[in-house]
Amino acid sequence: MEIKREDILHLADLSNFSLSEKEAKSLEGDLSNIIKYISQLDKLDTKNIEPTYQVFEMDNIWRADEILEQDAKREDLLALTKESKDNQIKVPKVL
Amino acid sequence: MKYLPTIGIECHVQLATKTKLFSEVDNDARGKEPNSCVSPVDYALPGMLPRLNGEAIRLAILAGRAMNCKINSHSRFDRKHYFYPDSPKGYQITQFYEPIIGEGFVELPSGTKIRIEHAHLEGDAGKLTHFDTYSLVDLNRVDTPLIEIVSMPDIHSAKDAHDYCKELWRLMIFAGVSYGDLYNGNMRFDVNISLAPETSKELGTRAEIKNLNSFRSVERAVEYEITRQTKLLEKGEKIIQETRGWNDASGKTTAQRSKEEAKDYRYMPEPDLPPINLSADFIDTESAKLPPMPKDYRDKFHGIIADDILEIMLDYPQLINKTNEIDQKHLKSISNLFVSVLLAEEKSAEFLNDLPSAKDLNELAEMNEKKELSSTATKEVFLRLFDPQMKNRGAKNIAKELGLIQENDLGALEKIVDIVLAKPETKKAQDDYKNGEQKVIGFLVGQVMKESKGKANPSAVQDILKKKLA
Repeated sequence: MEIKREDILHLADLSNFSLSEKEAKSLEGDLSNIIKYISQLDKLDTKNIEPTYQVFEMDNIWRADEILEQDAKREDLLALTKESKDNQIKVPKVL
Repeated sequence: MKYLPTIGIECHVQLATKTKLFSEVDNDARGKEPNSCVSPVDYALPGMLPRLNGEAIRLAILAGRAMNCKINSHSRFDRKHYFYPDSPKGYQITQFYEPIIGEGFVELPSGTKIRIEHAHLEGDAGKLTHFDTYSLVDLNRVDTPLIEIVSMPDIHSAKDAHDYCKELWRLMIFAGVSYGDLYNGNMRFDVNISLAPETSKELGTRAEIKNLNSFRSVERAVEYEITRQTKLLEKGEKIIQETRGWNDASGKTTAQRSKEEAKDYRYMPEPDLPPINLSADFIDTESAKLPPMPKDYRDKFHGIIADDILEIMLDYPQLINKTNEIDQKHLKSISNLFVSVLLAEEKSAEFLNDLPSAKDLNELAEMNEKKELSSTATKEVFLRLFDPQMKNRGAKNIAKELGLIQENDLGALEKIVDIVLAKPETKKAQDDYKNGEQKVIGFLVGQVMKESKGKANPSAVQDILKKKLA
């Protein structure tokens, strides 16, 4: 599968990344190579093999429904944001 | 041409767990400061791992059983990627491929069955508030456990859409899986609606109306869409597949975004959450905890409580719970008091949380049935049973203290009637009655009631008067 420029731009758009011309071009090559590398797996016969969704042989890891005091406080969260207002995260208008 | 609407509804239900779906943070953010109920797991700092809340699984099983759904023994989570400020992870954890709740159905009060396609567990998004030039993000709601219930396109009218949403709400409340507070967004509805000629085998192009938060807005939005789409089709125009928003004030839907720019969510298995494998035993044990559902009460009370009264009571689980304690023979009269007296009161919401004891209610109904209390007096005593100053005294004492007990002792009543008939001012009425003017009996009954200070049983008085004047 070949990765085209428009695929790169579409993915960037979905993830809200802005890419320079140079970055887009280099990603085009990188992603194509990654897909090619992974595609080698297609050659394997997987007819009788169950799909793997996760590699640890675990299931039913549940926790009790009990509130625990959190170490990270609101100030710690807001300190990570570019801008805040009234204890909320301020972002460009979206609707 | 006549068009048949076809409607499918997706409903998001917030589960009433103590903590969030994937973190040990308080899930009840009502009245709390913005961004005060949130942990690094919720906003996905690097290295943070989600841990599944077992209570959400149990509640999902109950919700599923409330909708007669199969509970899938195997389910797992996926990541649904999208970029939006309400989701700091950059994805939502949901169950796209293998949901916990399988097929089932919801039966409306009318008997119509709406099939459920499936329902899945997922985390809610944060809350955005929009201002002139910016938006503010509150992450308290991030990863509140939700189940998203997806119906089959079995709904064909605005009324059924309304009834379906309301019945879902009742099921979730009765099952105890959600607080069902619509005002605070505990349940939100997305409605898919298309129109096709009645004779057509194929469905038309659909519009999706997102984020409706009341049964009434679901009904109105569907009515509006039926009219809008009918007009377009009659003009020979095409319906565009798009998402539309509902404006409650204008009573209209407006286009939000068309499917052309629809998101590619790039689903992938959630690697941080091991799958859920439920044994048949576990599913059975948890399913057995499901309390009686509205349908059970409809079956139980059919022919005892009038259908329309019962449907109103089914909106108030507190009232329905009370019926379990009340004597069967008094159910009808007490149900009528609940609906006609209590719900008409301004403070009914307050009252509902502090209902009188079954003993008092039974006593009251008994007095009414024995005609010791007139229907007006019964209502009065009933309301006093909610009065914090009086309720502890019991129905009988309240009735006595207020002097509301009717005189049913025929001997005593006869004496009062005799006193009234001996009064000169009643002479003319007596003569008129004897001369065939039957309606003056009302005047005489009134005089006796007055003489008895309102305590006489008026129908007994009338009988005595008729005998004496015959």
